Amino acid sequence: MSIAMTLASTIEAFNYYNLRYLFIGLLYTLSVSVISIALSFVFGSIFGIIVYEKIPYFSRWVSIAVDIVRNLPLLLIIFFMYFALPNIGVHLSIFWASIAAFTFFESAMVSEIVRGGIMAVDKGQFEGARANGLTNAQTMFRIVLPQAYKKIVPPLVSQFISLVKDTSLATGIVLPELMYRGQIIYGQNSNYMIPVFIMLAIIYFVVNFGLSLISKRIEKNLA
Amino acid sequence: MTEKMIQFQNVEKYYGDFHALKDINIDINAGETVVLIGPSGSGKSTLIRTINGLEDINSGKLIVDGYDLASPQTDINKIRKNVGMVFQHFNLYENKSTLENIMLAPRIVLKRDEKENHDIAMSLLEKVGLADKSANMPSELSGGQKQRVAIARSLAMQPKALLFDEPTSALDPEMIGDVLDVMRDIAKDSNMTMLVVTHEMNFAKAVADRVVFMADGQILEDSKTEDFFKKPKSERAQQFISQIEHH
Ligand SMILES: Nc1ncnc2c1ncn2[C@@H]1O[C@H](COP(=O)(O)OP(=O)(O)O)[C@@H](O)[C@H]1O
Ligand SMILES: [Mg+2]
Repeated sequence: MSIAMTLASTIEAFNYYNLRYLFIGLLYTLSVSVISIALSFVFGSIFGIIVYEKIPYFSRWVSIAVDIVRNLPLLLIIFFMYFALPNIGVHLSIFWASIAAFTFFESAMVSEIVRGGIMAVDKGQFEGARANGLTNAQTMFRIVLPQAYKKIVPPLVSQFISLVKDTSLATGIVLPELMYRGQIIYGQNSNYMIPVFIMLAIIYFVVNFGLSLISKRIEKNLA
Repeated sequence: MTEKMIQFQNVEKYYGDFHALKDINIDINAGETVVLIGPSGSGKSTLIRTINGLEDINSGKLIVDGYDLASPQTDINKIRKNVGMVFQHFNLYENKSTLENIMLAPRIVLKRDEKENHDIAMSLLEKVGLADKSANMPSELSGGQKQRVAIARSLAMQPKALLFDEPTSALDPEMIGDVLDVMRDIAKDSNMTMLVVTHEMNFAKAVADRVVFMADGQILEDSKTEDFFKKPKSERAQQFISQIEHH
């Protein structure tokens, strides 16, 4: 195949239908990512606080669960949510099975980051608040957590960047996200393979680079 | 009859195997100012921190403002409402402005009316000479300023007692005077009970009703200020005083 032909198919690959098809894939990638990020932020924070608080027994079990989940391959969790859960009567659509899997895994990751952030807050902040009459919960939510989140913006955002990338694993259960749709396109015309990969790379890069810019913004505003 | 604000009876405290407080017995009356001194590691911070429950005691009786600290029925937050604490390292809320540092606890713990809360906070800032810093964050203040805000924060709760754990030890020498002046003012209020851990002997001589001397987790001496400085009873205290005063 000549260079001229390669070039021609490259230009052709960027046609309206392919771009629109990928764009819908991007919407899937983004919606699964955003929903999973929001949920795992909430659950991860709750688990992180529980593990930090050393509540008898309870915190131990949460901590063990977090350690287990963090060490599982994400693909296993995705397959579990989609293929295995129906066997115990839980039927999730591909979309929600993906979100369940990402939320499950990312919550474990986020909980460790949040716990680390809480531990990095000066002990004097707790003591100052408790001595000032604030309850444990008031101390945590009004004084400690705001400071902890400020400290963990960078690791949190890089975790969420990984999440956006990892949504491509949901291709394994045929979630019609970016990666999956890319495969469909070059499956029909193998000349499109390289251009499609380039396009996918650009899209993932733009999204994730955008996230890291937002992270820098947040860091600056919080400082 | 003088009301007892703080009572230690045979209090013992361990950190693991380490015996940090040994058979502590002190009574502090309402309105009294007591200075607690002693070498580093003698247990001064431990003792003062048991009073508002930042440290638990292992045995004995500790009664603060009528509440028995060892009793499971005691809500420690009730004690903390009435007993303020000022720390060596200030412990201001780093994520809140000066004014918010002072207004937060009265708002969410005492449910004080917002306007009244603001007025009280501003008048306290004036009292400590920092009315112009109300909008600043703690990171924008000097150590001495932070400590004065921390004192204002404690006063905003309108406590019956204030605990000070080496409030000037982390300050540059030129900042110490302003903080001690504020503390002197507070001590003049005959209703306020104060327990102050400090190495500032001139401050102790000027404001303390009593001086308590600790070493190795024990109270070696508990005397009227005049008597203590005229001639400490124990040799350890004599040594300690002469060491400090020759610095
Ligand atoms: N949290 C702790 N765990 C173990 N040992 C401690 C702890 N806090 C203080 N200690 C020990 O208890 C002793 C008294 O400490 P502290 O009350 O801070 O003394 P001071 O305030 O008089 O310098 C010291 O030997 C110190 O090392
Ligand atoms: Mg100390």
